[in-house]
Amino acid sequence: MSIYHTSLIRKLLPLLILLPILSGAALALDIQSVIREVEQQYMGTSSRARTTMQVKTSHWERTLEMEAWSLERDYFLVRILEPAKERGVATLKRNREVWNYLPKVDRIIKVPPSMMGGSWMGSHITNDDLVKANHIDEDFHLRLLEETETNYVIECLPKEDAAVVWGKIVYRVRKTPQVPEQIDYFDEEMVRVREIHFDDIQQIGERIVPLRLTVLPLEKPDEMTVLHYRELVYDLDLDESYFSLRNLESP
Amino acid sequence: MLLSLAFRNLWRNRRRTLLTLSAMVVSAALLILALGVFSGMFKDMLASATEQYYGHLVLAQPEYHLRRDLFANLSVDIVNHPALMNEPEILARSPRLRSFGLLSRQLSSQPVELLGIIPEFEQQVTSLRNKITAGYYPKLEDRNGAMIGQGLANKMKLKPGDELVFVTQAADGSIGNDLLIVRGVFATGDSRNDNSLVLAPLPWLQDVMVLPGRIHEVAMILANPMLAAEMADRLGPNLPENTEVLAWGDLLPEMREVIAAYGVSRMIIVTILYLATGLGILNTFFMSVMERTREFGILMAQGMRPMAIRSLVLLETLFLGGIALTIGLFCGALMTLYMQQVGIDLTTYITPITYAGGTILPRLHAVFEVANFLVPAGMLLLVSLIAGFLPANRAARLDPVVAVRED
Repeated sequence: MSIYHTSLIRKLLPLLILLPILSGAALALDIQSVIREVEQQYMGTSSRARTTMQVKTSHWERTLEMEAWSLERDYFLVRILEPAKERGVATLKRNREVWNYLPKVDRIIKVPPSMMGGSWMGSHITNDDLVKANHIDEDFHLRLLEETETNYVIECLPKEDAAVVWGKIVYRVRKTPQVPEQIDYFDEEMVRVREIHFDDIQQIGERIVPLRLTVLPLEKPDEMTVLHYRELVYDLDLDESYFSLRNLESP
Repeated sequence: MLLSLAFRNLWRNRRRTLLTLSAMVVSAALLILALGVFSGMFKDMLASATEQYYGHLVLAQPEYHLRRDLFANLSVDIVNHPALMNEPEILARSPRLRSFGLLSRQLSSQPVELLGIIPEFEQQVTSLRNKITAGYYPKLEDRNGAMIGQGLANKMKLKPGDELVFVTQAADGSIGNDLLIVRGVFATGDSRNDNSLVLAPLPWLQDVMVLPGRIHEVAMILANPMLAAEMADRLGPNLPENTEVLAWGDLLPEMREVIAAYGVSRMIIVTILYLATGLGILNTFFMSVMERTREFGILMAQGMRPMAIRSLVLLETLFLGGIALTIGLFCGALMTLYMQQVGIDLTTYITPITYAGGTILPRLHAVFEVANFLVPAGMLLLVSLIAGFLPANRAARLDPVVAVRED
């Protein structure tokens, strides 16, 4: 009896050890795709969007009308349509590089590493956000912090060798439909410094996405950036050549 | 009588006196020279920070110098505020607008600090005009003419006539951007200025930043930079609210400490050098007093009082000190003058060193400063007196009966 018992345990032991690992792996895979989907919800394989960006700071307030194109997670082009003074100002992201086109001086400028933390178009979104948000699942260790009936809460801690500015990012994602509700950004001292809220959930083709996101810099309580997607079209016939420096200059 | 006696005694052993005297002269003269060179170094350091960038006084919104907040700006009219105009100590005033942004040319970009200035006024406050290595100081009429540092010019391979794009955050939230044309290149030796400072006409920068009629600060030059702190306190109450006048010492606290520490180190150097000289004097006078034991005995036996004996020896040392002082000061002044006019160039051996916000130039160069003469002079007399005191005491305490019997 005892011999039989031992051998059963022997047979089961590998399974017992593997089980948590397997389930963990399955789970890790799961949250990784959740994060990736959140970060690429406006992009898909390719997309075109018309957006309105409202930026409010303690000194000024302004509204920009923009048109944006994207391909996979690596290519992104956005051009200002309004106000007239800034019409034609454009930003191109190719892989991890960001370029700006300035029609007033008719020049293309590559954003140097030292300016990546700087504000993009005067908003509370940084150049870094444009480049790195798409790579959260690669640059961070992901962990399911909490699972409720309706939500996942996923914590992202930077990998040791990742060149990132955040100390921690926490995603709150609704389960069905799977859309983000809120993202909290913590600095290196683990102080919460920024929140992004999502609302205006709409069905676009087969996807369900929140069309409005509100960025709140917590250090400046009276400031915010609201990005509202007015039009969103997925799966266009775009290829890499569309995201060229030449196309950045001339619409 | 005592005076002429003391003077004559001094020359009884001419060789010994002359040797001691020469030691005193050399130490005093070299000290004066060394202090002059030190002062020259500090003056270079202070000048590099004030006359190349800050000025002696800066008027701005409170905390502007800490946070460099784009929105902490003032009306350009503040330059002509009566409190500033009616102050004779203020020699020049320059209104400035400051912007941090990106200077870009083709594929290379560099973060820079751009100062919008009115060339005519800025030239009276900072001395970059004398540091131009290529081109010329941009004029107001050049509209978008810029002057850049040598380090920046090297990094971006720029020369006068080249076109650049300046990009910054404008005050209305838009991306401020415009073309600049390099007109001049300067080299100060201060790596911070040479690598990232750019000067351009004020109206152009106001336009780019969408800040018409606004400035961030007024930089001022004083007749005497050492009075800057006092002047800042005096001006403050007469200026509008929401402004603050800072002296260079507030902007460069390390520099202020370095200069305060100089006063202490000067005393330490003087003390060490004079300790050695003092021992020499002490030795000379002990010898001289011992030799004259019999003579002092006779003088006392004839009724000279111990106090007079003491005064005699002290007078001798004082005479020696006085003579050494006169010659030492003269030689020291002569050498300082040479170092002030000619100096020694060390460019081939060392490069400029930036320290405490200022730059020490690779040269030995002296300046005249009253304290550099007064301190060595006063200390030399004091040392002579102290060194003379022990032998004088010994002479005064002699017992005439014993002393007379000495051979």
